[in-house]
Amino acid sequence: MTSASISKAEKSYIQAGLLTSPPRRADGRYLHDFRAIYLETGVAPLSNGSARLSIGRNPLDGSGGTEVLAAVKLEVENIEEQTLDGGRIACNVSCSPSAYPHLSSGALDDLQHDLTTVLHQTLSHPSLHPKNLGIIPRKKSWLLNLDLLVTAEAGNIYDALFLAARAALWDTKVPRTRSVEYKTPKTFLSASGDMDVDQDTRSGFDTRHVAHATDFELPDYWDEGEILEGRERWPVAVTLNLLHTVHFLDATLQEEASCASRLLVVYSHESPTAYTIQSMRMLGSDELSIPHLKKLIKEAEGFTRSMATSLTTKLEDEDFRRNQKAREKFGRRK
Amino acid sequence: MSADRLLLTLSDSSDSSDGHSRIEILNTGGYRSDGRRQYELRTISIDLSPQGSGADGSASLTHGLTQVNVCVFGPREAKMRSQTYHDRANVNIEVAIAAFSASERRKRGRGDKRILELSQTLKSTFEPVIQTSLYPRSQIDIYIQVLQQDGGLLQACVNATTLALANAGIPTYDFVCAVTGGVHSTSPLLDLTLLEENDLPNVTVAVMPRSGKITLVSMETRLHVDRFEEIFRLAGEAGKVIHREMRKAVKDRTEQLVASMQSVGRPSTGADVGDNEY
Repeated sequence: MTSASISKAEKSYIQAGLLTSPPRRADGRYLHDFRAIYLETGVAPLSNGSARLSIGRNPLDGSGGTEVLAAVKLEVENIEEQTLDGGRIACNVSCSPSAYPHLSSGALDDLQHDLTTVLHQTLSHPSLHPKNLGIIPRKKSWLLNLDLLVTAEAGNIYDALFLAARAALWDTKVPRTRSVEYKTPKTFLSASGDMDVDQDTRSGFDTRHVAHATDFELPDYWDEGEILEGRERWPVAVTLNLLHTVHFLDATLQEEASCASRLLVVYSHESPTAYTIQSMRMLGSDELSIPHLKKLIKEAEGFTRSMATSLTTKLEDEDFRRNQKAREKFGRRK
Repeated sequence: MSADRLLLTLSDSSDSSDGHSRIEILNTGGYRSDGRRQYELRTISIDLSPQGSGADGSASLTHGLTQVNVCVFGPREAKMRSQTYHDRANVNIEVAIAAFSASERRKRGRGDKRILELSQTLKSTFEPVIQTSLYPRSQIDIYIQVLQQDGGLLQACVNATTLALANAGIPTYDFVCAVTGGVHSTSPLLDLTLLEENDLPNVTVAVMPRSGKITLVSMETRLHVDRFEEIFRLAGEAGKVIHREMRKAVKDRTEQLVASMQSVGRPSTGADVGDNEY
């Protein structure tokens, strides 16, 4: 799983450090501390939403750390099966060989596939599906492509991927669409021969329009569209690295290599009180007793809650920076 | 107004587009669709700070809205023994294009023909430039990641790779500086955007500015033979302009490194210098 290979001596040194009390880690963190996380949204101009996230980057020159780029692109899709109604989500993780310089291309493909499976299965679950991905019922809908690119890895890749995915999905704007239907122009017969301006102001109660809509158009509007419905629901993952009785967060590559198993727990926090567990994985070869597992799952909820809260705060900050501040800047220029 | 019309009809007859594009490539005032003049290059920005997981050298380069990251690993032991040569280093170039880099989402795998062709072109460009004979039985891996595409992909890849190689300290005979040139009816243009690239015959030329040699000429469209010479010469000159920018970036980076090295290793700081690594 990891690309770092360490010696037995190094492994036991790291393990001993983690098991002493107080625990000692190479970078001086406590067991439940994260490295610094940097996040920026709107990094890919040709996407509908994007984010760059890095964990544990060197603040001076930006080197090291785990870095993930996430971008959402929406595509129009014709619906053939009923199950596709309301759009669908496809996640894809690709790993740059520069992030894993020791892996052969075959091993890199395997890793990509593993990461893609976890991300896709969790994020495309119906319970998280945004309601505004449909365009015309039973005819057309949006296909949301979420592409994640790992450009550097220094441990804790799952947490980074989920955080970046959440940020990119939060940033996503779905273009506004207006349904179009073709009907015999009644006004044409009575009109005085002028240009046939569409004066048909639709009533909000007239649902028949939707049933007959055959196509759609993209109206010109000042913003890029509306946000995804239920974007607070997108989940946050935490990896608990297990070593005998202790568990620790945000492992570096060396730490990952020195503990036998990891537990990945993904929680969705719609509000501080309403939370659901979306996915869970046990990675590695160690075994775990059920009472211990229960305790870990409960504890993971606390970790993801604080991660989700601070991520939301940061994303709201980013929204403000990119929308309101930009508007003010342009306002001044006038 | 009539002059505008004339130019439009001219452009329609000169290029092979199906006439759906109504954006003027070059207007009567001599400006291009993005506001540049004929020979004006797009903004180049170069970042030589480290990237990837412990790359020996890396560069991030943008030409306007085209953005490319390159990481160089090596010279190092080859992953596959069979790929080594007893008298020189093997240069391995892998190109990956992000699915979100273009306006249409497209995922290209490693076996994609277009990507293979691009990496093969780059390999044949750089193999004679890198002093491979200094590192027998080893491998130099160059990983290129395309993050945004707006025309001039090959040119951006060549320039970024040159910078990453310099940053990794791999000896080369010279810089390789590439630029794309195109022609709109009879007026040559430099550093084309995607819009221009789709509509105009274009050629990418890579020069070695010190010796004035050409290491790469790549053309996928038809270009009148009378126009070729002029564009070729202009692209060669533009390559020298790009070389200035690249050399400045490498120099700035080196100065920065030297400054931080001196600040660490200076004996006048008193304490024992032996602990400091640099």
